[in-house]
Amino acid sequence: MKNQQSDKKSVKESNGSGIQKNALESSLYSSHRLLLIISVIGLLAACTIIALLALTVGSVAIPFKTVWQVLISHLPFVHLQSNWSSTTDMIITGIRLPRILLAGAVGTALSTAGATYQGLFRNPLADPYLIGVAQGAALGAVAGFVLPWTFGGNYLIPIMAFAGAVIAVTIVYLIARVGKTLPMTTLILAGVAIGSLMMSVTAYLTMISADKVQGILSWLMGNFANSNWDQLKIISPYIVVGVAVIFIFARPLNVMQLDEEQAQQLGINVERTKIILLAAATLITAVAVCFVGTIGFVGIIVPHIVRLIWGPDHRLLLPLSAITGAILLILADTASRTLMSPSEIPVGVITAFIGAPFFLFLLRRTKKAVF
Amino acid sequence: MKLFRVIMGIAVFGFLVLTGCSPSIQKTPLSNTYTDDIGRTVQITGIPQRIISLSPSNTEMVYALGLQDRLVGVTSYDDYPLDAKNKPIVSDYSTVDLEKIVAAKPDLVLADSIQKNDTIPALEKLGITVYTMSPDNMDGILSEIKVIGQITGKTQEADKLVSNLMGRIKAVNDKTAKFTDSQKPRVLFVTWYDPIWTAGNDTMIQYLIDTAGGVNIAVDLKGYTTITLESAIQRNPQVIIVMSSMGDNHTSLNYINSNDQFKATDAVKNGQVYEIDADIFGRTTPRIVDGLETLAKLFHPELFK
Repeated sequence: MKNQQSDKKSVKESNGSGIQKNALESSLYSSHRLLLIISVIGLLAACTIIALLALTVGSVAIPFKTVWQVLISHLPFVHLQSNWSSTTDMIITGIRLPRILLAGAVGTALSTAGATYQGLFRNPLADPYLIGVAQGAALGAVAGFVLPWTFGGNYLIPIMAFAGAVIAVTIVYLIARVGKTLPMTTLILAGVAIGSLMMSVTAYLTMISADKVQGILSWLMGNFANSNWDQLKIISPYIVVGVAVIFIFARPLNVMQLDEEQAQQLGINVERTKIILLAAATLITAVAVCFVGTIGFVGIIVPHIVRLIWGPDHRLLLPLSAITGAILLILADTASRTLMSPSEIPVGVITAFIGAPFFLFLLRRTKKAVF
Repeated sequence: MKLFRVIMGIAVFGFLVLTGCSPSIQKTPLSNTYTDDIGRTVQITGIPQRIISLSPSNTEMVYALGLQDRLVGVTSYDDYPLDAKNKPIVSDYSTVDLEKIVAAKPDLVLADSIQKNDTIPALEKLGITVYTMSPDNMDGILSEIKVIGQITGKTQEADKLVSNLMGRIKAVNDKTAKFTDSQKPRVLFVTWYDPIWTAGNDTMIQYLIDTAGGVNIAVDLKGYTTITLESAIQRNPQVIIVMSSMGDNHTSLNYINSNDQFKATDAVKNGQVYEIDADIFGRTTPRIVDGLETLAKLFHPELFK
């Protein structure tokens, strides 16, 4: 009897704490929402300012004021007396502006994809290239360089890279699928195996085409040197849609951090969510690399930076990674085109160079478990 | 002196017995020492009769001196003159087939400096005579012709070739030397388009552009390097020279001609974008003088007809 009572009491107690926990969680949610809104607005403002400042520097010195005048003159209904040459206009609106926007778009895509993969695989080492996207894209691109194909003209390499990436991940997916489920470990292993296979073919093709090594290496290291508006027009719709889909699945991704079984019990269609997220992340990664090559470090470092500052909630992590990724890649590309000007440093070198130390600094400063 | 010969004779005889050879070779052939392009000391005994070339440039050089009958091995990239394609292939550009080289019993292998860390030590270990030849400027090419002439006993042919080339260079130089910089076209040389790779100072291309009467807009850069799109366009080249690459379907040329960003340059506005043969401009061989004349014609069509 006494026992029963005390049992009841303990049930009550636990109920009570449950209610308290719920209240705490809901207050956490609202404070999260506020934090999200403030952080997104703050980061977007920072991103815009950085982009506009990046527009004023380059290997050709153009006065700060002229850059603004040129920009403003392109706004609708504004007629300014132009006291600058058509070359200056071309440099600002035809070269720097699309290049900065493309860097931002690619940074957004890679960081969002990286955060998604890290969440899906529950692995801090996951990056957008984990399951063969980069290796497939590289093989496609190098085949485009080496084989005597002519279709697509200057779009041959991007088309081949995109096709390579999508085909590689499809093969990995088909291999890794067990019945109706997709075990994440099998997916990683299949990705690593197919990736190495493709790397070896890529390396061989590169080796036998000595006269094209320059172009191939430039592509593999990644660069924004030849950015233009057409590229931006082609890739941005995919990135917008892909990133939006991923944002929608932020909450299921949170729940899936527990355990796939538990997530299933909590009413989440785990298999469907996995496939949608994988497809979206793969698509935006493939689109991001097809014109500018495989830029490393952004996809793995940015989500960690965001997690260290704002915590692991995917509803914050995904959008903030997207903007932070844009900022980081715009900064990196600005360094890449100005540090050694008028030559360029491949942007992949810069992302590693600024990304790694900054990440280590954060890691040492917070001194807490990251993942 | 006689005593010395006797001692040497005994020594040689003893050496041959020890190494198990029969002392059938009796004449002591002429031996000369040369220093090659990577600073190795190369001792060449007698006049080489079986030559292997390990680069397309070296093969062109061998043909230019009329040594093709002695050529017993080439690389799979050797395509000039066409006859080189009929020679046995012992190497592609990066991997050298040592077995085939040994089997061809060469008495001289003409290597390239990029092979200095792998192939050249391997060939040395096999006791094969290797001379490395990688000139990177016009004087280098001319002196290399003379050295190869000397090694192969073709000094007359070499001298004739060198004076012919020097005469042609002087003919171009005489016509272009009178121009001031403002009378020369500004030239952008493009070896690859994504990103734009160009040739700066201290390159053969810089020498060719300068001698042909042009101003290289990338002369402030050093060596082969990238140039940002905005700098290339800001410097407004009047002539753009695009290097073709094997089987690449004029990608670089089409890019320059069709790209909106390049439409701001005088070269594209006036249709002064030309593609040239990478094999002529990328190899350091006597044909580079053909390249010089080609450029001079493009820069100053009125003077060179």
